[in-house]
Amino acid sequence: MRDAYDAVIIGSGHNGLALGAYLARCGLEVVVLERRHEEGGGLCTEELTMPGFLHNVHANYHTFVDLAPPQADLDLADHGLSYVRPPVQMASVFDDGTALTVHTDLDKTCASIARFSEEDAETFRRLYTEAHGYVNLLLGTLMYQPPMSMKELTRALSVLGVEDRSEFLSVKLRREPIDAFLDQHFTHPKVKAHLAFHGAVCGYANDVPGLAMSFPLLVGKIDNWHVCVGGSHRLAHALWRDLAQHGGVLVVDADVDHIEVEGGRAVGVVLADGTQLGARRLVASTVDVEQTFLRLLPAGAVPAELRSSVERDVAHQPWSLFSVHLALREPPRYEAAAFDPDVDQAWVVNLGYASTEELNADWRAVRSGDLAGTCRPNAAVNTLFDPTDAPPGHYTGLLRQIAPYALADGGPAAWDGIARWYGQRCLDTWRRFAPNLGGDAVLDWVPYSPADIPRKLRNMVRGDWMMGEVSLQNMLDRRPLPELAQYRTPVDGLYLAGSTQHPHGFITFAPAYNALQVIAEDLGLQAWWRDV
Amino acid sequence: MPDVYTQEWYEAVRGAMNDAAGTLRSVPEGRFAVAVEIEGDGVSPYVGDEGRRFLLEIEDGVCLWYRELAPGDGEHAQAGRIDYRFRGPATVFDELAAGLLDPIDAALRGTIAVRGDMRLLLRQAEHVKALLQAYTSGVDTTWPLGGPPYVRGHDAAEAPTRA
Repeated sequence: MRDAYDAVIIGSGHNGLALGAYLARCGLEVVVLERRHEEGGGLCTEELTMPGFLHNVHANYHTFVDLAPPQADLDLADHGLSYVRPPVQMASVFDDGTALTVHTDLDKTCASIARFSEEDAETFRRLYTEAHGYVNLLLGTLMYQPPMSMKELTRALSVLGVEDRSEFLSVKLRREPIDAFLDQHFTHPKVKAHLAFHGAVCGYANDVPGLAMSFPLLVGKIDNWHVCVGGSHRLAHALWRDLAQHGGVLVVDADVDHIEVEGGRAVGVVLADGTQLGARRLVASTVDVEQTFLRLLPAGAVPAELRSSVERDVAHQPWSLFSVHLALREPPRYEAAAFDPDVDQAWVVNLGYASTEELNADWRAVRSGDLAGTCRPNAAVNTLFDPTDAPPGHYTGLLRQIAPYALADGGPAAWDGIARWYGQRCLDTWRRFAPNLGGDAVLDWVPYSPADIPRKLRNMVRGDWMMGEVSLQNMLDRRPLPELAQYRTPVDGLYLAGSTQHPHGFITFAPAYNALQVIAEDLGLQAWWRDV
Repeated sequence: MPDVYTQEWYEAVRGAMNDAAGTLRSVPEGRFAVAVEIEGDGVSPYVGDEGRRFLLEIEDGVCLWYRELAPGDGEHAQAGRIDYRFRGPATVFDELAAGLLDPIDAALRGTIAVRGDMRLLLRQAEHVKALLQAYTSGVDTTWPLGGPPYVRGHDAAEAPTRA
């Protein structure tokens, strides 16, 4: 490790590593600092249950593989990264033994929906076809660019007459919840429940006003979920390889104590062990806004009003995720396979939400700090598509249930007393739909509660795996705060490049990619990646 | 009336674009290079299997030049960095040039792939709209090999067959 680098990046999640790799390819001397023992942040894959069972502790679903510029720009496939796109992407299994499946084959998806409602199947076909046409264009517009304001966006769409050309895009969506969109276009409760479930897995709660605007885009990507072969940490490894190949340095066990500021400019960092690292051109933080502004920056480095805004106004998701990681002797065999055999080959399975009302009741409970009324987690068995993540003949399993971070009775700490009990409830639900998972089919399981999330990854404040609320008020040029939304900060040379920024968490790479555009502009870097 | 895809036609389109831009209150500042890739689709008689490539350069809202690239010509040698790229099948571009297809529709449906800084494109929506209107209806074009609509995949049922 040198005494000084051109770029010092705090945090080695996918955003930190990608930003580091791009800048290293620009010829900058780059160091990426990671507090934990390994790189990756939310990409961590660990043997949580038993040796040989690789569990994705946080990020499990990779949805922007074909869209995220770093995949090609950083030659990630050449660095050993590979993905599988399961043919049966998702399913819902219902208490009455029926099931709905979403396939990479649109005809099969529509055939599955048609078993509930032929009208909904036709609507879905039109919606998917339309959204699939513009999803890359609009996601490229909205996601891989520093954010526009909602006003600018809707004005442009109005000038170009986009609303007149679409059955499903409408300016009024920016005021409506996903529920309203579903009620307007679909009829069958189970079809609506499945589509709302898909939104929830994406981090978009179906009852939040304004999120309907994003819903057509979510549908356009509904068949685009990928398993990262070997576990999500393989993405971190590939990014690290690219960083290293271009001269960048990753330092683990490097807890940043504070950012040094001189004359209003970020000039370096000091680690908890006293090591000083100079930053000749920039410091980029990919950790949470609270750490960056309230812990890492000296109190006088930014206006007091901004510190107050960070304390008061940074919004976090009012719900988190409770996970159960399992080591299995066999995969689930759903009773609903009698209705639709494809459910046994589905990757992400909704265990029981059969209406948006059921989901909404749970959102309300969870936001109040209560456990969901009826435990209805979703289940995924990655080994069905990636046999390398478990010993031969065995399987990993993942259950995820929406849950409060702070329990109304006892706060976050109370999770420690009930995690096994609640995990058992989740497992019982799975067994109810897949009875073969009773007996000795489950070798071992461990709960991972919302309280565990920030213990492992400090930047996921309050168990917020999206690193900021997904809502209209916290979108585009208002995320995480209006004055911080364009990746720059009031401190010269200090940038924000993590999932706190537009668009949000998930493995999009967009925060880092967009911060890169801003940094390149400020530093006069040749934007080799921007050539279209 | 110029024949489609001739230098005379490019000049006419360029003139129509500049006339349209001249009526706007504001246009984007700076210089932008746009590449257009038309892929041969076996239907259009104007574009062979190897496709055709065009470049245009716009500065402060004015199209400075608009020309076709010969096979083997490098884009970067002529325009430096490419800021926007439009790519699609020949039939679609023919129909756009003939005013039969709406360019916004084509982009929204993914028939034409658009790459580049979409934020700037959206911020200059009036200018974009004016340029597209000039391209699709600003020039009286002749079609010496027969004009669209040909039999089209996306609405073949309504389109007459080209004689």
